[in-house]
Amino acid sequence: MSGTGSSDAVVARNVDMDFGTGAMAVKQAGFSLARGRFLTILGPSGSGKTTLLRMIAGFQTPTRGEILIGGKPADAVAPHRRSVGMVFQKLALFPHMSVEENVAFPLKMRRFNPREIPGRVAQYLDLVRLGGFAKRRINELSGGQQQRVAIARALVFEPELLLLDEPLAALDRKLREEMQLEFRRIQKELGVTTINVTHDQREALVVSDEIIVMDQGEIQQHASPVEMYRRPANPFVAHFIGVSSFLAGRRTETGLTVNGSDCAGQAVADIAPGAEARGAIRAEQVRIAAPGDALSGCDTVLEGQVSDTIFEGERLLYFVTLPALATTIQVFHHDPAEHAPYARGATVSVGWTARDLLIFPAKDR
Amino acid sequence: MPNPSPEFRYPLHWRLMDAVERIADLVWPRRLSRHTGWLFIAPALLLVGLLVLGLIQIADASLRTLDTSTFLMSEDWSTENYRKALSSSTYLTVAWRSLSAAVLTTVLTLILAFPYAWALVRVKKAWIRKALLITLFLPFFIGQVVRAYGWLIILGNSGMVNEALSLVGVTPMRLLFNYGAVVFGLVQYMLPFAVLLLVPALTAIPEETETAAGSLGASWPRILWHVLLPMAKPGLIGAGLVVFTLTLTDFAVPAMLGGGGQDFIANAIYDQFFRTADQGLGSALALILVAAGSVLVGLVFMIFGAGTLAMGGRK
Ligand SMILES: Nc1ncnc2c1ncn2[C@@H]1O[C@H](COP(=O)(O)OP(=O)(O)O)[C@@H](O)[C@H]1O
Ligand SMILES: [Mg+2]
Repeated sequence: MSGTGSSDAVVARNVDMDFGTGAMAVKQAGFSLARGRFLTILGPSGSGKTTLLRMIAGFQTPTRGEILIGGKPADAVAPHRRSVGMVFQKLALFPHMSVEENVAFPLKMRRFNPREIPGRVAQYLDLVRLGGFAKRRINELSGGQQQRVAIARALVFEPELLLLDEPLAALDRKLREEMQLEFRRIQKELGVTTINVTHDQREALVVSDEIIVMDQGEIQQHASPVEMYRRPANPFVAHFIGVSSFLAGRRTETGLTVNGSDCAGQAVADIAPGAEARGAIRAEQVRIAAPGDALSGCDTVLEGQVSDTIFEGERLLYFVTLPALATTIQVFHHDPAEHAPYARGATVSVGWTARDLLIFPAKDR
Repeated sequence: MPNPSPEFRYPLHWRLMDAVERIADLVWPRRLSRHTGWLFIAPALLLVGLLVLGLIQIADASLRTLDTSTFLMSEDWSTENYRKALSSSTYLTVAWRSLSAAVLTTVLTLILAFPYAWALVRVKKAWIRKALLITLFLPFFIGQVVRAYGWLIILGNSGMVNEALSLVGVTPMRLLFNYGAVVFGLVQYMLPFAVLLLVPALTAIPEETETAAGSLGASWPRILWHVLLPMAKPGLIGAGLVVFTLTLTDFAVPAMLGGGGQDFIANAIYDQFFRTADQGLGSALALILVAAGSVLVGLVFMIFGAGTLAMGGRK
């Protein structure tokens, strides 16, 4: 994903943002995004996502470094002349205008041919499936419909770049998942380069072509969703995306030794044998079976006791205490066909393949 | 119910509140609670009631003419006072002056108050906001009379402004006792009221809305025109009504900065009550003022809807 070509819609180089309030909001951010791609910036609250997005939008100027949009500095032109559509966290729709007027607003401000405006507005309202709502007032719409107006308004003038700042955060889960698919559909339909900001890892995985994970102002990893999931760059990413258990130990030839027991695994970086290291394994990659089951195909098999069982509907989450490792790990198990989960206190076998236990240098967060 | 340990006692003010509640229960039993609302607005209703009584008295007085030989009010009613008030060119001038000054003051005040309130709401640095607030409130504490006197000192024929002008060779000019001085004094007096009424309206507009308008292609004059002003409309109407009615009925500023030659309706009424002692004519003028003010406020409500004054701008 690195390497800048002429087809890049957005390029950031060594971008710092220092508000002078202690820690920097964004530190040494660098990435490039090719035209037509859908990028999601993912990170916990306060990790600098909005700040980075606002710098890309040109609302804020980086303390150091530069951001190029279509090859030109982001803040070189006045905000109202930029070709950037933005959907804000609180939507910022105009309550005193109808749906239609909201969507027509950028066209009027940008001096589109007045005869062209009604057709375009209708076209974009259809795109977001609000065809019949043109005359409604904003406060007569549901939360999801307001989202759609905000998207239509940001896209109707055909910007080069679409920026989304957690516009789905306030929606309930069902609606949010529906809107995620909508974002994806609309982005694919128009092919507009899009940068989306969210703290919802599921959303990032579902909608994006590529993901940037941020923490404390720093980019932790920039990768495709599958790569991000399978090959997290550090324990923070492993922790933030999915459910992982962590094992502290020392590096061995074949993996990691934890509390004197060997665990098969693979290192993500060069770690000297004997050096301190941390293993991470995802809950769905640990297999669980009745005690004594050999768990064919697993490179490490250990016995432990179920310390807690959580029913999550489509799956069960077990907390299994492993005396050999002196730790508890989390294990997903699909709701078994016989509807008979392992009871709390039951002895079970757990196992995994070497490929799935990722070993990080201990200094990584 | 949780049972606190025996040695636990609720603080004194809690127990006092309990006692008050028990007494209130005796005096005003729970089943009357539906009517509690009326109880609370009773004092206000009483005051308004008194005002209405006063108005009835005034209405009565306005229908009696003054006998200039005996200085007694006539026994029987006539509309003579109203005829006199409405046909007199003096009062027509006074009325026109009050009305035009009220409109002018309202417009000027709103133009000045809007950016001030906007800055107050949007400014990031706490000390700037504090400075703006203090600058706004200081004149409040000084009061109208002292403030008007201050203007006399500053704008008088040998006042600070004229002194300064003479230094650059401009001959002293009359800055006081004219229409302009009165409007100037009124605008200065009304500004804090208008700002305070506009601040809530502007606070209700998220800063993101302005940013969004900018990112959609609006330059700042267009953001002001298409987004800020329409969204602040309820506040503007509210502030405008308050400034307009306060100005229309103002007494002190025209009296002091007008120097007797720039009377408003209130000054004319004052003259009738306390100089000429023609209560009848004074009452008639007062009622005409009330009627004119009410009609104008009513018109604004009819055009914009009473609801526009409430935040949220529902119909
Ligand atoms: N205008 C600002 N002034 C000072 N600090 C700010 C400002 N904007 C953001 N910050 C700080 O920068 C950090 C990152 O904020 P933000 O980019 O909003 O995070 P996120 O969007 O990931 O939740 C936070 O610690 C926040 O307090
Ligand atoms: Mg944010």
